[in-house]
Amino acid sequence: MRPLPLLPAAGFLAAYLLFDWLSYVEPLLGLNITPWNPDTALGLVFWLHYGRRAALPWFLALVAGDVLVRGMPGGPLATVLVAAWLTCAYGLIGEVLRRQFGGGAMFGSRAAFFRWLLVVAAGTALNAVVHISLLAALDLVPPADWLRATWRFGFGDMVGVVVSMPLLWMLSTAPGRARLRAVVWRLETLACLALAICVLWAVFGYIMTSEFKHFYFLFLPLIWAASRQGVHGAALVVFVLQLGIVALVKANHAANITVPELQMLDAVLALVGFFVGIVVDERRQVAEELKQTLRLAAAGEMAAALAHELNQPMTALAVYGKACEHLLARGDTGELLKNAIRQMIAESARAAEVVRRLRDFFRTGAMQLETVSAGDLMEDIVGQFRPMFGQYGVVLDVAQAPPLVVQVDRLQIELVLRNLLANALDAVRARPQGERRIRLAAENIAGRLRFSVEDSGQGLSEDVAARLFEPFVSTKASGMGLGLVLSRAIVEAHGGTLWAEVAAHGVFRFILPALDTGE
Amino acid sequence: MPPNLTVYIVDDDPSVRDALGLLLGVRGYRTAVFASGEAFLQAWQADWAGCLIADIRMSGMDGLQLQRRLNELGCLLPVVVVTAHGDVSQAREAFKARAIDFLEKPFDEDKLIAAIEEAFSHEARNRQDLDRRAQSQQLLDELTRREKEVMELVVQGRHNREIGPQLGISVRTVEVHKARLMAKLGVDNVADLVRIAMQS
Repeated sequence: MRPLPLLPAAGFLAAYLLFDWLSYVEPLLGLNITPWNPDTALGLVFWLHYGRRAALPWFLALVAGDVLVRGMPGGPLATVLVAAWLTCAYGLIGEVLRRQFGGGAMFGSRAAFFRWLLVVAAGTALNAVVHISLLAALDLVPPADWLRATWRFGFGDMVGVVVSMPLLWMLSTAPGRARLRAVVWRLETLACLALAICVLWAVFGYIMTSEFKHFYFLFLPLIWAASRQGVHGAALVVFVLQLGIVALVKANHAANITVPELQMLDAVLALVGFFVGIVVDERRQVAEELKQTLRLAAAGEMAAALAHELNQPMTALAVYGKACEHLLARGDTGELLKNAIRQMIAESARAAEVVRRLRDFFRTGAMQLETVSAGDLMEDIVGQFRPMFGQYGVVLDVAQAPPLVVQVDRLQIELVLRNLLANALDAVRARPQGERRIRLAAENIAGRLRFSVEDSGQGLSEDVAARLFEPFVSTKASGMGLGLVLSRAIVEAHGGTLWAEVAAHGVFRFILPALDTGE
Repeated sequence: MPPNLTVYIVDDDPSVRDALGLLLGVRGYRTAVFASGEAFLQAWQADWAGCLIADIRMSGMDGLQLQRRLNELGCLLPVVVVTAHGDVSQAREAFKARAIDFLEKPFDEDKLIAAIEEAFSHEARNRQDLDRRAQSQQLLDELTRREKEVMELVVQGRHNREIGPQLGISVRTVEVHKARLMAKLGVDNVADLVRIAMQS
């Protein structure tokens, strides 16, 4: 076993004593039986990081706390004995947690959080029973007070761990610190904390007479933080609330406040906050994964397009090559062979062109934003489609574009429009001549630019609309079903949304954030 | 290789079309190329023989649509379907519409030639069948009305003794008609007679 580095051990000792002193509120019988023990949470976090090497510093901290904070109420022997027992018991809890959550994924999912809670609750309860019995055997706790002392000590430990350990754990790991920093340096979190302090002050300024009647106000800042910033925001606010409660109680010497009951309310508050936070985090992660899948689907669509575009020149190349082989085999080196070789050179140039075009399109993955007016975007795309529409007898109706400009990657947005128009063309081709109409419109919807492509095709049923944006779902014989997936990914990358409407005719719309009126 | 067989190539990519035409030309096949399914349908004649190589993914009418349309028109040309990215449902559809083979681009030359040869032998069998049928029809056309009536009843398995009264003629006359129609059709037993009657 490597020896424990000195600096963390000394830091731990100092922090532990500070916590001990801070939370030495409402002691029972002059012993360390208090309603809130965050020092235990600190010890457990320490143990999670260093394992059994944490035992000695913890033991020393327990002894030092008893000597410095409480002046050794039970005598030196009792102090050492009790500290030894507590080190064993806490060490056991720490070891179980270490086995269960080696990497510290305690607050990542609801299931893990439950297990953590279970270990902490069972461990602290068991410890309380043995610890107080030990104190009773040493004649420090009268038998009449045994139940009250056990209850208060066990609950104090549990609340201390539940309320403080998440934040302490986050503070003790580099990724946790990074996320906390990201959470804290936001106006919203600061507002949240300010609200928490205001509510705290209001509730406790009042509580002397009203006995927690207004405690539920404390849920307000907590749920705000948890639902916006997840478990990290919740941990922060829970800790601040707890700190505030203890500080107010300590400052007021409020003997008429039943602190243990307050602790119970606070534990419930903390649990609700963490649960909301974890659920929010889980949802957010699922959303992230979905986005990643969409990105992959877009890449897949490009790959499929690339495969097709490259396959044609490669097929031609291979076939020309075979033909040349046969020509040479029969000794024919005339015009036919020369022509075939010329064609091969042209085909390889064509393949290179495909690759170049695709590289241009991706441009190392970054979008090249430029300011384009809605009218220009529409004009360009309509110019490309007019001849094809004429060929199939499709009437194209283009509405007057509003004077809006957008900041977009022009190529990518053109690809979206082309995709939607090509889909519309496919849809109306099923109709008889004379009933083939497509309408392209751009509108200003509350300062955002909305494009609509409507066609006189048969529209979408709810069924189809629901599966429309899944990759590889196509209603066409020769489609890969990725065009819409790619289009949506592009629009979302621009901060917009793309959707289809269930209607008796085809309606696709997408909306982009606009800059301003480009007068 | 049987005479008069042509490989018809339908592909909307000019280079692939041209390269295929060259390769198959060098290998000694007669070829004809078309830029689209529509162009092929417009030019198609019922007496075209050989096989059709059609790309699935084409702008306008795709290969599978072309195959279906030809089936509707009663075209018996065997079809080889090619595609740049084969998927199972496309292959299924192609084979359900009686495609001979389903090839992926870029081609393997041996597989391509094998597919064409298989299509050609398929086509040859088809042609033989058709020829035989046409011959039978021609022979049957030479029979008189009475001889046809007698033949139909013979083919149904009736005895001369039953046929006479049914047609209102004597059994002896039935025998004369029967001998004459068998001579015209060039058969000497009832089994062959049935075969010719069935073919028409």
